[in-house]
Amino acid sequence: MAEREEGFGISTASPSTALPVATEVASDGGYTAGPVLVATDVVVSYGGVHAVDRVSISVARGEIVGVIGPNGAGKSSFLGALGGQVKRSGGDISLLGKDISSMLPHQRARLGLARTFQTTSEFAKMTVFENLITSGEGNAGASLKEVVLHPRKTAQRERAMTDRAWEILQRFEMEHTVNLYGRELSGGQRRLVEIMRCLMRDPAVLLLDEPMVGVAPHLTGKLIEDLRAIRRDGLGIVIVEHALEVVRQLCDRVVVMAFGKVIAQGSFEEVVQDASVQAAYLS
Amino acid sequence: MSVWVFYISTLVIYFGVDLLAGIALNLQFGYAGVVNFGFIVFQAAGAYMAAVVVLGPSGGVASFQQYIFGSRLPFPLDLVAAAVAGAVVSLVIGLFSLRRMRRDYQAAVLLIVSLIALQVVSADVPLFNGSNGLTGVTWPLGQIVGVTATGAPVIYAAWTLAIAAIVFAAVYWLSKSPWGRSLRAMRDHEDAASAMGLNITSLRLQVFVIGGAIAGLSGGLLVEYIGAWSPGAWGYAETFVIFTAIFVGGVGNYRGVIVGVLLVPVIFLELPRFLPAVGYPGLIDSLQWVTIGLAWMLCLLFRPRGILPEKRMEVTKPAGVPGPAVVPSEGGA
Repeated sequence: MAEREEGFGISTASPSTALPVATEVASDGGYTAGPVLVATDVVVSYGGVHAVDRVSISVARGEIVGVIGPNGAGKSSFLGALGGQVKRSGGDISLLGKDISSMLPHQRARLGLARTFQTTSEFAKMTVFENLITSGEGNAGASLKEVVLHPRKTAQRERAMTDRAWEILQRFEMEHTVNLYGRELSGGQRRLVEIMRCLMRDPAVLLLDEPMVGVAPHLTGKLIEDLRAIRRDGLGIVIVEHALEVVRQLCDRVVVMAFGKVIAQGSFEEVVQDASVQAAYLS
Repeated sequence: MSVWVFYISTLVIYFGVDLLAGIALNLQFGYAGVVNFGFIVFQAAGAYMAAVVVLGPSGGVASFQQYIFGSRLPFPLDLVAAAVAGAVVSLVIGLFSLRRMRRDYQAAVLLIVSLIALQVVSADVPLFNGSNGLTGVTWPLGQIVGVTATGAPVIYAAWTLAIAAIVFAAVYWLSKSPWGRSLRAMRDHEDAASAMGLNITSLRLQVFVIGGAIAGLSGGLLVEYIGAWSPGAWGYAETFVIFTAIFVGGVGNYRGVIVGVLLVPVIFLELPRFLPAVGYPGLIDSLQWVTIGLAWMLCLLFRPRGILPEKRMEVTKPAGVPGPAVVPSEGGA
């Protein structure tokens, strides 16, 4: 197993084992920082079955960590546990040094965790523009009290959200879709809207669940470029992906899961040559 | 007063009351995606509360009707009490029925709550006089100006429309605010909305309580006009009348709600009530419900988004932002 003993720690170590601290520099981002997301011995159970069995991960700023594995390996459940959508049975998760293990999804989001979903999750009967401004970090609509009692402040926030939305639309060259409903977009555009929506929150960590599914081949390269550009902003990214070429091009490190456990980790080249990975996933 | 004045005034009053109910249900279902199959319970709560705070202290078992909370509150506390009753009942029911569970389960729970509430109120006579219900309810504001609701139906119709207009304006403003937009995001994808920092449980409860308060107010207005209220007035089927109205008019579009309310509860249900009897007794009543069922099915088949669908909120690219211009399409969708 191609497990690294130093640097960003992803391991199936026992709870007493201290996690290594991330100190490296992202390969194309030139970003140096400590971990933004640390998960230790996370367990997710459905009935008596451990879908995720004591998986640990540490993600630094500007780092892209890929999670791969066969269907049913527990990748999406693990991502759900990080985001709070799936109830974890054990383990701890911290974001920017704060324990978020027991927090609800919206509380985690407000602390800087953003995510996309395995099936696209655009707000189908809202325009792309509405999708963005509803998701912004300063969305006043999250509070009825704010809207009713502080209309001036709400208007200011709306203006800030509007400016930010146009900025992001320009960055992703999606201005022409601004008045389209979410349901009117192509698969690739929906994926982009999901990612743009996350960026409206200026997150510290971005969790992407199979972002390339449904994306036309000619758009995949663009999405990879976009994700590389995002990482240069200093985000930590965890990406679950089946397209190995995408993982190879994008990820600094790769974690391979099978039967709920981490079976290998390291660089892409290291893990694909690992015998256990070959047996469980690639053969 | 001519029969026609009474007839048309009564239709207008029903329109105002049902418009309030439609506004509340559209906010809950059309905007927030809460399938409130127990909606009529909150209107009933308001009606009962308005009745008991107008009727005066209960005479107990010796009286021909007995009830709780008997008092004689002056205007406008009667209607405030009705709205508060709707809100409080909504809060209590919402706290256990709106937890994180699938929408179809929520709808089933709310329908069951509606059935249970009807049985409890019918069986527990000391509560609101059981299945006989309450009678003799008067109009406190009318007493101040020296008229009765049925004696001056034009005034009561104007009063009802005025309240409906105020509530309509307030709810419309809220719905178009960032808060209303958050409700639509929750409606379209709960998990994604939550992952974008929206507190789904809190938003759902807020919209449930606001809708409950408006439903309570509509119940209060209705009972002060018709003067009586009993379990026969709030069967679960009444909820589906309001649902049909917003389906036919256009879910998520308040102008659609006006059209739907005018068509379904007013023209289909109330208008024939005052027409001469046709055929055997009960035929008109049965045909009314058949018409409502047909309206719902035809709408789902041929106009699933209603007569006036939800309007697209289009934007224009502001000056100063580089790149090609973005302008709204003709009229949106």
